[in-house]
Amino acid sequence: MPLTLEIVTPEARVYSDTIDGVDIPTVDGEIGVLPGHIPLITQVAYGELRVRKGAQVSCLAVSGGFAQISGDRVSVLAESAIEEDKIDTQAAEAAMKRAKDDLLNQKLEPAEAERLEGVVRFAVAQLSVKGRKR
Amino acid sequence: MASTRDIRRRIKSVKNTRQITRAMELVAASKMKKAQQVALSGRPYASLLAAMLAAIADRVDESHHPFLVERPVKTRGILLISTDKGLCGPLNANLFRMVAEITTPAKFYVIGRKGAQYLSRTHRDLVADFPVHDRVPFSEMRAIGELMVRHFREGSIDTIEVLYPRFKNTLTQEAKIRPVLPLRNLKEYVAGLAASARSGQTAPEDKREVHFEPNATQVLDALLPFYVNREIHQFVLSAKASEHSARMVAMKTAKDNATKLLGDLTLEYNKARQAAITQEILEIAAAQFAAA
Repeated sequence: MPLTLEIVTPEARVYSDTIDGVDIPTVDGEIGVLPGHIPLITQVAYGELRVRKGAQVSCLAVSGGFAQISGDRVSVLAESAIEEDKIDTQAAEAAMKRAKDDLLNQKLEPAEAERLEGVVRFAVAQLSVKGRKR
Repeated sequence: MASTRDIRRRIKSVKNTRQITRAMELVAASKMKKAQQVALSGRPYASLLAAMLAAIADRVDESHHPFLVERPVKTRGILLISTDKGLCGPLNANLFRMVAEITTPAKFYVIGRKGAQYLSRTHRDLVADFPVHDRVPFSEMRAIGELMVRHFREGSIDTIEVLYPRFKNTLTQEAKIRPVLPLRNLKEYVAGLAASARSGQTAPEDKREVHFEPNATQVLDALLPFYVNREIHQFVLSAKASEHSARMVAMKTAKDNATKLLGDLTLEYNKARQAAITQEILEIAAAQFAAA
């Protein structure tokens, strides 16, 4: 009995497929979801989301959001998500550098600082997803 | 009657106007298509969020959370979504008429230059104005949402409302004011959202006990601000679609008017030219007659 995984961001539906299992990074640590999981709602952390489909494992970098597991549906709401092969290492590094510079150089409002931290964390997540393969 | 040269000059200028308005219409049309597409792509997100809120709403006591509790309204917080540029027909004027009708104390947050100009001209309490890129990235909306939510929590504003041009269809946009916070009744609201959003796909209802990590309250605490940001994002997307379609319609009208004017002017020009020729023939004939 396969699971249906759906990853949605405000801009687009990033991923939608039937899968065998998924590892989701949550604020309490990583959880593995297999078919027959109990219903669960949890907060998703910045990190690497691994999708298992047959023998094949694909990775996505996700930023903070929420996940709902209900029956055989896994829905992930994230502020941004990107598939491994679409990650642009240079762009991520550049974004991280820019955000870090901004964080260091100026006195920022807490909300702005938090946003920049989010950028950095998402960039780190992207790079770690990319770097693991190399 | 105006001389042919004057008319020719006017024809030239009207032609230029028509060319410009036609170009602007085409640009607005393509932008409108994109804006509508983006607004549509936000749908699955909305329905998923609604489903999650619904799942939590059943299991949390709603009186404890500041976002759900109604309190006496001293100062309203209003987010006005206007445009950066003009030339979009009555779109901004309609919004500003709504603003003029607001007499209760209110603080304003603005997206778009036109709105900021109007509010400072009328000496309203303008707290902040935000520039928004044409593509409306979610990250820019977060800043707005977070600022308003912070003021709401601190108590300097008691409601969060959004005044925006709602996209009805390409021809009509109406200025609307929508409350975002406080959520008067979460369950009722969620039911409404679910009814409107989940028309296509109905997920099999899972009646089992839902587990929350770390716990229900904490998830709700995180989910609600998130929901506010997303709601604002959706309003801005709708406003963008409205802006571009209003501009397209305004430019189309301008272009049609220019075409009509051009027809009239051409007719007048031809008449004048004909009159001048007739006059000339008459003069030559008269001169010959006199010479004979």
